[in-house]
Amino acid sequence: MLAAVNSAMLSGAVGCSLSVEVQVSSGLPGFTIVGLPDAAVREARDRVRAAVLSSGLSWPMRRVTVNLAPSGVRKAGAGLDLPIAVGLLVATGDLPPDCTDDLAFCGELGLNGSLRHVPGMLALADAATAPALVVPLCDVREAALVRGADVHGAATLSDLVSVLRRQATWPAIPEEPVPTRSVPGPDLSEVRGQIVGRRALEVAAAGRHHLLLIGPPGSGKTMLAERLPSLLPPLTKEEALTVSRIHSSAGAALPSAGLLERPPFRAPHHQATIVSLVGGGNMWLRPGEASLATHGVLFLDELGEFPVAALEALRQPLEEGVIRVNRAGGSATFPAQFLLVAAMNPCPCGEGVFDGACSCSIVIRARYRRRISAPLLDRFDLVVPVGRPRAEDLMSDSPGEPSATVAARVVAARARAAARGSEELPLTADANTSLANKLREGALSARGLNKVKQVAQTMADLEGTDLVTHNHVAEALSLRAGRAAVIA
Amino acid sequence: MTSELPDEAYATALSQLPKMGPAKLRELLSQASPEAVWKGITEPSSSAREEVAKLWWRYCDLGINVVLQSHPNYPKRLLGWPHAPAVLFCRGNSAVLNDRPTVAVVGTRSPTRYGIGVSAQLGAELSATGVSVISGLALGIDGAAHEGACGAGAPPIAVLAGGVGEPYPVRHRRLWERVSELGTVVSETPEGMKLEKWRFAVRNRLMAALSDVVVVVESRHQGGSRHTVDAAMYLSKPVGAVPGSIRSLASEGTNALMSEGAFPVCSVTDVLVALFREGADVTLPKKRKSKGEPPKPKTASEEALYDILTFDPVSLDELVRLTGVDFPALCGDLERLAQAGLVQDLGGYWQRI
Repeated sequence: MLAAVNSAMLSGAVGCSLSVEVQVSSGLPGFTIVGLPDAAVREARDRVRAAVLSSGLSWPMRRVTVNLAPSGVRKAGAGLDLPIAVGLLVATGDLPPDCTDDLAFCGELGLNGSLRHVPGMLALADAATAPALVVPLCDVREAALVRGADVHGAATLSDLVSVLRRQATWPAIPEEPVPTRSVPGPDLSEVRGQIVGRRALEVAAAGRHHLLLIGPPGSGKTMLAERLPSLLPPLTKEEALTVSRIHSSAGAALPSAGLLERPPFRAPHHQATIVSLVGGGNMWLRPGEASLATHGVLFLDELGEFPVAALEALRQPLEEGVIRVNRAGGSATFPAQFLLVAAMNPCPCGEGVFDGACSCSIVIRARYRRRISAPLLDRFDLVVPVGRPRAEDLMSDSPGEPSATVAARVVAARARAAARGSEELPLTADANTSLANKLREGALSARGLNKVKQVAQTMADLEGTDLVTHNHVAEALSLRAGRAAVIA
Repeated sequence: MTSELPDEAYATALSQLPKMGPAKLRELLSQASPEAVWKGITEPSSSAREEVAKLWWRYCDLGINVVLQSHPNYPKRLLGWPHAPAVLFCRGNSAVLNDRPTVAVVGTRSPTRYGIGVSAQLGAELSATGVSVISGLALGIDGAAHEGACGAGAPPIAVLAGGVGEPYPVRHRRLWERVSELGTVVSETPEGMKLEKWRFAVRNRLMAALSDVVVVVESRHQGGSRHTVDAAMYLSKPVGAVPGSIRSLASEGTNALMSEGAFPVCSVTDVLVALFREGADVTLPKKRKSKGEPPKPKTASEEALYDILTFDPVSLDELVRLTGVDFPALCGDLERLAQAGLVQDLGGYWQRI
């Protein structure tokens, strides 16, 4: 007998629907899976057989062939266990032939017949074409985020068989746990001193300007960067879906309350490979850190220690907001609209901001700086030197301005920017003169001029004025002054 | 090729022989003419002679002057010095070696901004008063001195450890080119030699011998400038050192030099006085008459800011704290002062000009 069951699988961060066909025919007993299965799919054979047997059902002593259609696309992941099992039971006649008509199935099977979590449920639920979707009970809530009520869950294969035989109704969806208040991240009030660093964070958050912090070890670069997410407004519904989809497809657990609501903060270690940063992989194209940081912050600490190739690979996403990963097995496009924050020492010994204390030779310093290519450096609108805080500031009891206050200004500034759209605020005469002088001196390139203007707009938005003044331009210039420490 | 080859050709060929160091060459050439020495130590064959001719033409093509001790352009300061090189290779005008008083401006390859600034200033001011600035074309202080000296007046002189036909370090190619145009690049090493460590010590010694006064701008503890200083002291030439902060690692060597008896160099006048005492014909620069009013801060807040700024770089954080002005306004004031030419931004750190 032949049976066909709808299902879905992950391809990159999006799902695609597929059909699982099972044929049980006479011949030597055996079990074959065709349609370019990866190792996890091929192993489904043993899991399905054990799950069927331990659910009190019989295994046919006949020839079983499973085809995963479309058969030209590589299939990956264990989520196809459940459709294969259901298809088999229909084909052997253990289930009525029409019971799977309006359903799609996704789920991994345990040897004892239990249904297990599959990563990427959001994307799978998006892709499944059947009117209703059957998933492991633990994934129901995640799938329901995009499909609403058209999601059913089952805890075990035998539960599911009873429902499909119309001997039982769909089990109740477990009570929604009380949404836990998300633990507040680190707060800006814990930062002492660092007036310029704080200001740079605020401007970066308000205008989505990429930020490079340069300073000696222990000056608080990392501390500042970690507090940037607390200045960003919460994700909109649409952003939350995008972010959650990517995180879910990377196998990360979503919060029990549902979607991710805070902007993500990703801080890959500096030994990260290109693939781990921009995404990729062999069979299952996984999103990289840059995609996981979408609508949030990608923090690269010790920028100079990252492999040069990995940094250069970030240039495309910085420009276009998406990453295209191409492999022999297929290609995928991941969103990657992140705010890049990086930190580095001015030189290998770390003391080079200030004269005299540095023990590196000119050659060593030049070599260290050459690791950051000029095109990459150009992507940073803000390049800010961070000095060590003073002892008095560190020991003082008075907290700095809290994140909430700054975040409110950021929200207001973003609203102003959104309201004016692509229209640019006019510059005052002295602001224009100042920029013209910089251009004439060669202190500013054409691209640099553009960047300074953009940052100055953000300054005006933060202040709530409709005019870009000389102060705004001067401040925008000041917040990229750190470039001098990295060029040359 | 039947034409007679000049002595210089044979001297060049000799200097290129394997295992021929400066000392050996000096000894050989003190006994006989280059041609005689060459014929004495090589097989007499036409092919060997052709080799010499080829080498000579290569030097001519590269525009390298070969200066023997008998040549009028050979530096008079070197005559009678036991280490005087038998052959000097010059790229540029070798006549400048004897023209004027000379001052070597040397120092560390990892200087501070202060060192670079002082070095360039000394280079420019010395050059403007007609003194040839000698330096090693190395990164850091040496390069800065030449950057300052080039085009400021007197022809600069660069002394290289390797051959003069190739810039070393490569990063100073442009500077090497300029020095060859305006003055001369000189070395006692022929082309194509391996750059061994001892060549730098020999170069530093030669720099001391070529100059009337040696000035060390910045030098770390046991830095390479020590070779130049030791050679200058051996030749009883005055050595000056630019004082630096006692906290700056880059000034450790120069501050120590002063306690050993080097004269402090606080302005170009200090160097000129030392030159004058050496018998050099120098004139002290006249006080420049200032043209019109010097720029001044315009507003009260700019003035308050200018008063706080010194010649030491101050961070923006510190400036906000000291002035109590909020950051955007402070940036505006700093920018206006910078446009007036009163202060400068050193990458987030500000100081007076």
